[in-house]
Amino acid sequence: MGFFQKLFGKSDAPSPAQPQPSAGPIQIFAPVAGQAVPITQVSDPTFGEKILGDGIAIKPSEGKIFAPCDGKIDMMFETGHAVSLASDGGVEILIHVGLDTVELKGKHYTIHAHSGDKVKKGDLLMEFDVEAIVAAGYDVITPVVICNSDDYSAIRPFADKAVAPGELILELEK
Amino acid sequence: MQSFTYVVQDPMGIHARPAGMLAKAAMAYPCAVTLTAPAGTADAKRLMSIMRLAVKAGMEVTVSCEGEQEEEAAAGLEAFFQENL
Repeated sequence: MGFFQKLFGKSDAPSPAQPQPSAGPIQIFAPVAGQAVPITQVSDPTFGEKILGDGIAIKPSEGKIFAPCDGKIDMMFETGHAVSLASDGGVEILIHVGLDTVELKGKHYTIHAHSGDKVKKGDLLMEFDVEAIVAAGYDVITPVVICNSDDYSAIRPFADKAVAPGELILELEK
Repeated sequence: MQSFTYVVQDPMGIHARPAGMLAKAAMAYPCAVTLTAPAGTADAKRLMSIMRLAVKAGMEVTVSCEGEQEEEAAAGLEAFFQENL
């Protein structure tokens, strides 16, 4: 490799815009403020038994969902109760706000991003009314699921702590 | 290739939970399984791919199974749709 290629080659250039290093674990950050808990604590077996994939869950303290990494919105459900993203590195992430909340048909949810949108970590994707959803009889616990869990040799959750949006919650090993 | 069509009855359509269950059911078979809906075609073994179709109640979908055990897969998945969707 030539000197200039070395100097300017993409793979070698440190890029401050991309905090995720190419080596080492892939990091996924909290999409919402609240208490992070193991996904096995989610009462809905679809999540608790990891049928949709491994991950973590957050009991939200504030009704705002932010992008957990740089990537692209794969599917913003028109009801707003769930959103899936593909990270720039290929991680498929589902954020499901509350259990059985598909039944609310979009009530108490406000969408701020749409399917196909490119997003940066920390972009606001959706807002929801925590109190109204709880008052309507739903558990607002928010599983963050790695849909393509099988593509990773290890998925490490950082649970049992309060998190702010953007704090590390999951590490994935290829 | 074996295929069947089905009109989704579940009033919520194929949302996250049924999409995950469908992916799991499809993964039980070695053959390729594709789901075709008005919005396009998905790999029925991939949750994200299924969810992207945003299948609603009343929509007709086609499930196609191609490869090893395609007959068992089509029969098994048709039963899955009838029970769950």
